[in-house]
Amino acid sequence: MTQPNQPSQPSSDDPFVDHRSMGAAGPDPLGLAEAAAGQVSSADRAHLGQLGTSAVGTEELLRVDNLSVDFPTDDGVVHAVRGVSYSLRSGEVLGIVGESGSGKSVSSMAVMGLLPRSARINGSISFRGESVLDMPPAVQRSLRGRKIAMIFQDPMTAMNPVHTVGDQLAEAVLSHELMPKRKAMARAEEALAMVGIPQPKQRLRNYPHEFSGGMRQRAMIAMAIINDPDVIIADEPTTALDVTVQAQILEKLVEVKDAIGAAIVLITHDLGVVAGMTHRVLVMYAGRAVEVGETDDIFYRTRMPYTAGLLGSIPGLDSESDGRLRPIHGSPPSLINLPSGCPFSPRCPLASELCRQEEPDLMATDVMGHVAACHHWQRLAEADDPTAFFRTESEVSK
Amino acid sequence: MLAFIVRRVIAAFGILLAGTFIAYVLVALSGDPLQRLREDNSPGREERIASMTERLDLDTPVPLRYVKWLGGASQCVLPFLGKCDLGQSVRGQDVSSLLGNAMTSTLQLITVATITAAIIGVMVGIITALRQYSRLDYTATLASFLFVSLPLFWFAVLLKQYIAIDLNDWLADPAVSLPTAAIVGVVSGLVWASIIGGDRRRVWTSFAGAFVVSAGGLLVLAETGWFRSPGLGPIVVAVVGLAAAVGLTALLAGFRYRNVLYAALATAVAGIVANLALDSVLFNPSWGVLFLLLLLAVGIAVGIGYAIGGMQRRQAITTSVWVTIVMGTTIVADRMLTAWDNYFEFVDGRVIATFGSETPNYDGGTWGNLLDTVTHLALPTVALILVSVATYSRYTRASMLEVMNQDYVRTARSKGLTDRTVVVRHALRNGLIPITTLMAFDLAGLIGGAVITETVFGWQGMGFMFVDALRNVDPNPAMAFFLVTGIVAVLFNMLADIAYAYLDPRIRLG
Amino acid sequence: MSTPVDPRPVASAEAEGMAIVARTQAQLVRRRFFRHRLAMASLVVFMAVLLLSFSATGIGPIPGWWKHDYTTVATVVDGGRPTLSVVPTFLGGDGVHLGEHPFGQDNKGIDYFALTMRGTQISVMIAFIVGTLGSFIGVLIGAAAGFFRGWTETILMRFTDIIIIMPLLAICAVIANQAGNAGPFWLAVVISLFTWTGLARIVRGEFLSLREKEFVEAARAAGTPAWRIIRKHILPNTLGVILVSATLSLAGAVILETSLSFLGFGVKPPDTSLGRLISDYQSAFVTRPWLFIWPGVFIVTIALTVNFIGDGLRDAFDPRQNKVRS
Ligand SMILES: Nc1ncnc2c1ncn2[C@@H]1O[C@H](COP(=O)(O)OP(=O)(O)O)[C@@H](O)[C@H]1O
Ligand code: SF4
Ligand SMILES: [Mg+2]
Repeated sequence: MTQPNQPSQPSSDDPFVDHRSMGAAGPDPLGLAEAAAGQVSSADRAHLGQLGTSAVGTEELLRVDNLSVDFPTDDGVVHAVRGVSYSLRSGEVLGIVGESGSGKSVSSMAVMGLLPRSARINGSISFRGESVLDMPPAVQRSLRGRKIAMIFQDPMTAMNPVHTVGDQLAEAVLSHELMPKRKAMARAEEALAMVGIPQPKQRLRNYPHEFSGGMRQRAMIAMAIINDPDVIIADEPTTALDVTVQAQILEKLVEVKDAIGAAIVLITHDLGVVAGMTHRVLVMYAGRAVEVGETDDIFYRTRMPYTAGLLGSIPGLDSESDGRLRPIHGSPPSLINLPSGCPFSPRCPLASELCRQEEPDLMATDVMGHVAACHHWQRLAEADDPTAFFRTESEVSK
Repeated sequence: MLAFIVRRVIAAFGILLAGTFIAYVLVALSGDPLQRLREDNSPGREERIASMTERLDLDTPVPLRYVKWLGGASQCVLPFLGKCDLGQSVRGQDVSSLLGNAMTSTLQLITVATITAAIIGVMVGIITALRQYSRLDYTATLASFLFVSLPLFWFAVLLKQYIAIDLNDWLADPAVSLPTAAIVGVVSGLVWASIIGGDRRRVWTSFAGAFVVSAGGLLVLAETGWFRSPGLGPIVVAVVGLAAAVGLTALLAGFRYRNVLYAALATAVAGIVANLALDSVLFNPSWGVLFLLLLLAVGIAVGIGYAIGGMQRRQAITTSVWVTIVMGTTIVADRMLTAWDNYFEFVDGRVIATFGSETPNYDGGTWGNLLDTVTHLALPTVALILVSVATYSRYTRASMLEVMNQDYVRTARSKGLTDRTVVVRHALRNGLIPITTLMAFDLAGLIGGAVITETVFGWQGMGFMFVDALRNVDPNPAMAFFLVTGIVAVLFNMLADIAYAYLDPRIRLG
Repeated sequence: MSTPVDPRPVASAEAEGMAIVARTQAQLVRRRFFRHRLAMASLVVFMAVLLLSFSATGIGPIPGWWKHDYTTVATVVDGGRPTLSVVPTFLGGDGVHLGEHPFGQDNKGIDYFALTMRGTQISVMIAFIVGTLGSFIGVLIGAAAGFFRGWTETILMRFTDIIIIMPLLAICAVIANQAGNAGPFWLAVVISLFTWTGLARIVRGEFLSLREKEFVEAARAAGTPAWRIIRKHILPNTLGVILVSATLSLAGAVILETSLSFLGFGVKPPDTSLGRLISDYQSAFVTRPWLFIWPGVFIVTIALTVNFIGDGLRDAFDPRQNKVRS
């Protein structure tokens, strides 16, 4: 998984884009197509160019090796993350995608050192070659917020309601650098201006509840970039926002990332979000990485049925066909008593006896640098449309 | 905010009116004051019935009587309306003057109980929340269940008849045996070890340290006759002041930036010097002088914090003021204990009082009287606050745990703040806001408890007056009780609402 | 997922989901409660105390197995000292036996075990009535306020505010003074009239938040009558809170009744309660401490076990049960 990476640069005449606009025009009772299309296309149009210019560097910033996290609970041990590995280079945007509960947040909280004390962490995490897990707590703390910053899902609850936005931003500076409060406030003002909040000076004195959801998420981005971090982990930064605001926030995120030259780990459950934004994508299922590859390959050369299922559930993104949804049925397995074999097998249309016996490891596929944890990835490689393995709603009810 | 306050005040008045009306009717229905007179067949019965009827206005129907009573009572509540009139008791005493004396001692008891319970309970709650599922946490949980399940009257009698006697016997001849010292040492070691926590080595170090300090200290104090004639002296005051400066800095600001520590130490030194320089003033000061000194001391602390605080001015001022408060309390305790010998003699060695709220005929100056009050408050307060301590600690623990799980605490940690800052600035600030509401709620419980405590310990307070009145079918003193407790309850609920709104900007500004 | 499409897909799916959730939820709750060791031990002890007190002196006309009656005056033996012994002879004690008067005798020679058992019966009975009736009133008022909103809510909640500002013990003392003469049952009923306020506020809060939930809105949109929505959709979801609160209020009622009786405003002679016993014999403390200790021990035992049971229930119902032990 340390293969060299080049960012994908779909041009505007890419058929991919056409599919999307076609999907958006199709029957879509929930209005989701518009959302997905809005996000991705605006991200393309405005920023894919920028994404391209900020080429991925060669320096490896963050490296996660065989990370696993267990939580002992009253009901048994929760195996939240089971051996995840990835690396992140300077300037790179890595997408981590998976259904909720697949271990995306837990794995990134492990990187931040924010897991509860009860968590049992194994494997290794290194930042610029130094093992984070072996650092003394004080050194680990000095990385947090200064070298690796995090943006959380729900901007409504992620800010302390009793302190002003300015205080909370300044605090992020003051916890790493001694300076008069005045100077820290000036930095906060700059950061707010950078994320596009009008009248930043006045806004510093506001409390979070006086901000709208989108503004709060901008403020959260400002808080993350205020110390010029090398890595920003954005955990579902747009999930809790209005669809109209989502695209703006993603746009802003890419813009400030380029301005400060940071790398991003973008976590989402929505493949539509990563489409125009990331260089590489890691798909997680039941605490494992099940497919890793360049963003284009994940979309067009899918080698794992779960990913295909995710693609099929995006309105308007499923290739060929009628534009109807082909969602994955059933729900993810319990992380306490995992069944033997491939964890996806109960939901997988390709599941065979082998799948139920033996859990597949990540294995190389026909695509360079593209790995998938599936015994039958060849069948996907042979298929024209991998999502077609999944049935549509109407097929199901028949 | 102003509109909010006005609305709350109007609502409070309405509630108070309705509450007193219901209480008035129930009290009127609870017994017939003439019953006893009717059963009495001695001569002059008719006249006595007539005069009692007149005194208590029994011929007027109850609702109308309430209106009349309210007319008199409102003059007690609203100033400048005229003379306060709460009616007469069956014995013909003026209830408003009865109430005056009774109220002072009850309010004293309740104030001390509230403050003590809140401080202990909130501290225990915070510590157990931070050390969730530790042995200390389980112990505190079990203790609070026990406290809530102990009937106050039973425990109060137990304290009075059992603990007080033993304690006084011990104080008359204070000796500490080796096993006693060892037991105290082990308990203190266990408590400190679980508070401090950490890895195995740190646990053992803190256990050993606490054991040696407590057991050894106890033995040394006993050997040197300290318990016979306790006192602190300027050296202990100085040590406490400096320790407070260091400890409070660690808690409120940390040592990364030294100016806060310097400010706190400067404040402590100023306190030490002042204690020595003002020796003659502190010999027997009036309460007014003491209050002025306190104001002055806080002013100086603010000044020192401002001058030395540098980049962390705000923390420096806060820390200095807290140091001042700790030192002030220590100095007062030190001075109060100077009256010990004199007091010991006056009460024949029965220092821990079990009856009443003050020793009759004792006048030991400011400090002696303070000591007298403290010794009288000791047992009733202990009995009274058990339930409150349990309530505060459970509530604080739950509130803190909830806050510690909030997203914004995670955000704070993700910014790289120290654990101390996360807890003090983000968790505590939010976790303690709901305590304002709890204080108002708990006060009602304490007032009920005061009825029992005063009965057991023979305090001539409002609770005692109320029980006495009910037993004698004497409506007016009973109503006076409901009036005062109603006002206190309404007032504190209102204050709690306003404080809550003030502390939470979401309500204050929106 | 092969069910035919329903004309009201949302509502039916929700209802179906609800039923499944409710069943597994109940199982989960039961399992968690039975695993709560302290609560289980408390339940056993509480039941044992109930059994002991009701079987020893009998219920109403049914006689108990204990040889003495709680009204029979007898000669005082050995200063009324307790004959209960629990230290076996081989440990140097008197052996394990109850003796003639295990808890001793009072100054009139009445067997104190019989008195204590009778007192326990009365106290528990009163607490039980107060716990259930008080909670019932609280649920009624809170539910009405939370569901109907508007002026109903305003009036009921203002009324609650008014009751709350009167110190519970004091206002109960005022009414109990008369009600006590009418016997323990009426005393209990009258006390319940003032103990419902806390639960009313809680239930109102629960109702307010539940009535906004989708499954309730769906049911309302489908024209389900109010009482049916309350019974089918809201009450089952507030059951945990109500049950926990009722249990804890039972423990509170034990303390409240005994306190009233201690002050002389609760249970009146010839009947007795644990609080009365303590009140009657508090001055005997120095000379005959058992007269004071035994009733207290029973009050503490009852209140403590009931509180633990309530805590076990709360843990069992609390959805944030993801307790992580480090
Ligand atoms: N503190 C914890 N204790 C027990 N289980 C946890 C804890 N935190 C997360 N989990 C479990 O770990 C799994 C992965 O969670 P998470 O990483 O948050 O998923 P997501 O991919 O949606 O971000 C979930 O099943 C969750 O229940
Ligand atoms: S291994 Fe088998 S069950 Fe698992 S995803 Fe591949 S085909 Fe499906
Ligand atoms: Mg997540």
